[in-house]
Amino acid sequence: MADGEMTAKERKRKRGTESSSSSSAAAAAAEEEEAKWRTEGEQRTYSSRLIAALRRVRSSAAAPTDRARSRALREAADRALAVSARGRTRWSRAILLSGKARSLKRSRVLRPKPPAAASKSSRPPLEKKTRVLGRLVPGCRKLPLPSLLEEVSDYIAALQMQVRAMSAITEVLSAANAAPSPPPPPPPPQTM
Amino acid sequence: MGGKHRRIGGEVGWRVGSSSFATAFRPFPSRSRFKMSSRRNRVSEEEINELISKLQSLLPETRRRGAGRASAAKLLKETCSYIRSLNREVDDLSDRLSGLMATLDSNSAEAEIIRSLLPS
Repeated sequence: MADGEMTAKERKRKRGTESSSSSSAAAAAAEEEEAKWRTEGEQRTYSSRLIAALRRVRSSAAAPTDRARSRALREAADRALAVSARGRTRWSRAILLSGKARSLKRSRVLRPKPPAAASKSSRPPLEKKTRVLGRLVPGCRKLPLPSLLEEVSDYIAALQMQVRAMSAITEVLSAANAAPSPPPPPPPPQTM
Repeated sequence: MGGKHRRIGGEVGWRVGSSSFATAFRPFPSRSRFKMSSRRNRVSEEEINELISKLQSLLPETRRRGAGRASAAKLLKETCSYIRSLNREVDDLSDRLSGLMATLDSNSAEAEIIRSLLPS
């Protein structure tokens, strides 16, 4: 945990020496938000949200097959993750809207394309990779590179937390599954 | 002819001499959706490199140490594969979790798990 905080501080210090334009102030604010993904409190909050979602998924009889269950679980986990982002990022908003707005999106496909000169905001070799990256992050397909990179940083930090939280829960559940004896051992101090 | 020009870039004054109408009505830097491509390119290259080096710090340690100053293209590619692997990991965990949830049936076990995970 200390590592994560130090890296965020280092990055903040590096940013402080840059000229203070409004864009770098916004970027510094974005970094602070990103650091939140590494805190224990955030992970715990996410875990409790996730568990509540898991119970809902399990009690609903909607997913009979293993694959459907796993997919429902993944979607629930992603939605809980998006909620944790508090609507500040594009990817999180895209996830939250992914259930309802999908039909709307299809009808809006025919938009006039901007001329070729305007759509190229970076050198050609980077553009292909930029497009690939944009497809990997929800809701960021047509984003220009600077904003895309901010979304990517936040998305990666969030995914890392998601992996940590789900691994921890999986561990606890498999332990409980293996030894379902009523008196549980005192939980070890969580060192993240 | 006046009407046609007004549709494109209405802000340019009509006082400009008729010879420079053609140049005046090219996509000039305004907040229209034709982003100022050439001027923006020069500024954003630095921004881009900045953001990309910041991205490098997010990639897992093992790749960071060796690379030093990797090229932007390489970093973008590594970022893509890193996101893919993270997604795969989450999918894997979802598989395992959904299997575990199916076999667990007593509510008391769940309650204990929740208790152990939440701050008391």
